Amino acid sequence: MGKVIVVTSGKGGVGKTTSTANLGSALALIGKTVAVVDADVGLRNLDVVMGLESRIVYTSMDVIEKQCELQKALVRDRRVEGLMLLAASQKNNKDDIQPEHMKSICERLSVDYDFVLVDSPAGIEQGFQNASAGADEALIVTTPDVSALRDADRMIGLLLNDGVEPINLVLNRFSPELVKSGDMVDVPDVLDLLSIDLLGIVPEDEGVIASTNRGIPLVYSENAPGAQAYRRIARRITGQQVPIPDFLHSKNFFSNIKEWFSRKK
Amino acid sequence: MNFIQLFGRRSKSSAIAKQRLKLVITQDRFDVVNERVVTQLHRELAEVLAKYFEFSMNSVQISLKQQGNSYVLVADFPYRKATKDPS
Repeated sequence: MGKVIVVTSGKGGVGKTTSTANLGSALALIGKTVAVVDADVGLRNLDVVMGLESRIVYTSMDVIEKQCELQKALVRDRRVEGLMLLAASQKNNKDDIQPEHMKSICERLSVDYDFVLVDSPAGIEQGFQNASAGADEALIVTTPDVSALRDADRMIGLLLNDGVEPINLVLNRFSPELVKSGDMVDVPDVLDLLSIDLLGIVPEDEGVIASTNRGIPLVYSENAPGAQAYRRIARRITGQQVPIPDFLHSKNFFSNIKEWFSRKK
Repeated sequence: MNFIQLFGRRSKSSAIAKQRLKLVITQDRFDVVNERVVTQLHRELAEVLAKYFEFSMNSVQISLKQQGNSYVLVADFPYRKATKDPS
């Protein structure tokens, strides 16, 4: 049986869908079979972020209404072996699906796939309840700002209440420069506030914008810092011990120069 | 603008963010457990206090109040009179 992981955050716009697309792709790139499920009924986006929007024929709604078989509703990502997408219906809304529907879909997918990643909609309403219904564990994506962190904490409370555990944290859009200048909450403080385990840090990477424009997840750009971060996180998801780099003290030529100049000021 | 504001070290916005988050998350968590835990706490406290004095049950309140940079749990049991024979 595979593992069902819900990717959630509370607040919108922190990188749930980007993280789902990248982690799904990164897991497939290391040889795992993966089904990514868009649970954002009515506002689906995982298909465009992955560049699969033109190939969607059926959605989870069709599966629930028994219009089509689950296997037939899955869209194969041709860039990598073993990665499938189950799209959400765009013409329905969140209340048209019940938690037990999603639970059944996740259970069936976990028979055939090593990992089932469910991209949760923002918010704490029905859409989130549906997304987390079949989850064995949760990935909380947050950015290090006050509103995202507050919502993440609320979300952790809800997940614990529903018995979804373990809950791991992906800290997205982390900027070592801003931490150094004192304008971003640092990693130990985030962990102190939320009291959950850190699965990984994704540094701020402008490459995400171009990769979303193209519909090619960032992990395919091997040298991008964000891609490397997602690849490391994927390996940690599979149980490998991969250290989290110290972004604050990692030295490269440019950061050394930048720091030297800012000290002179 | 005084001398300190002009030349002193401005406190870091990340430290302010952390302090504010600490308070707001504490309050959020309290509000969430409020219904379940506080109702129980309320009942148990009342049982103990009723041994020693009388109070009007309907005006009892348990709340979280901010005091500077931290919170205190405040239980209000409006006092009427001491129980005649505390057992």
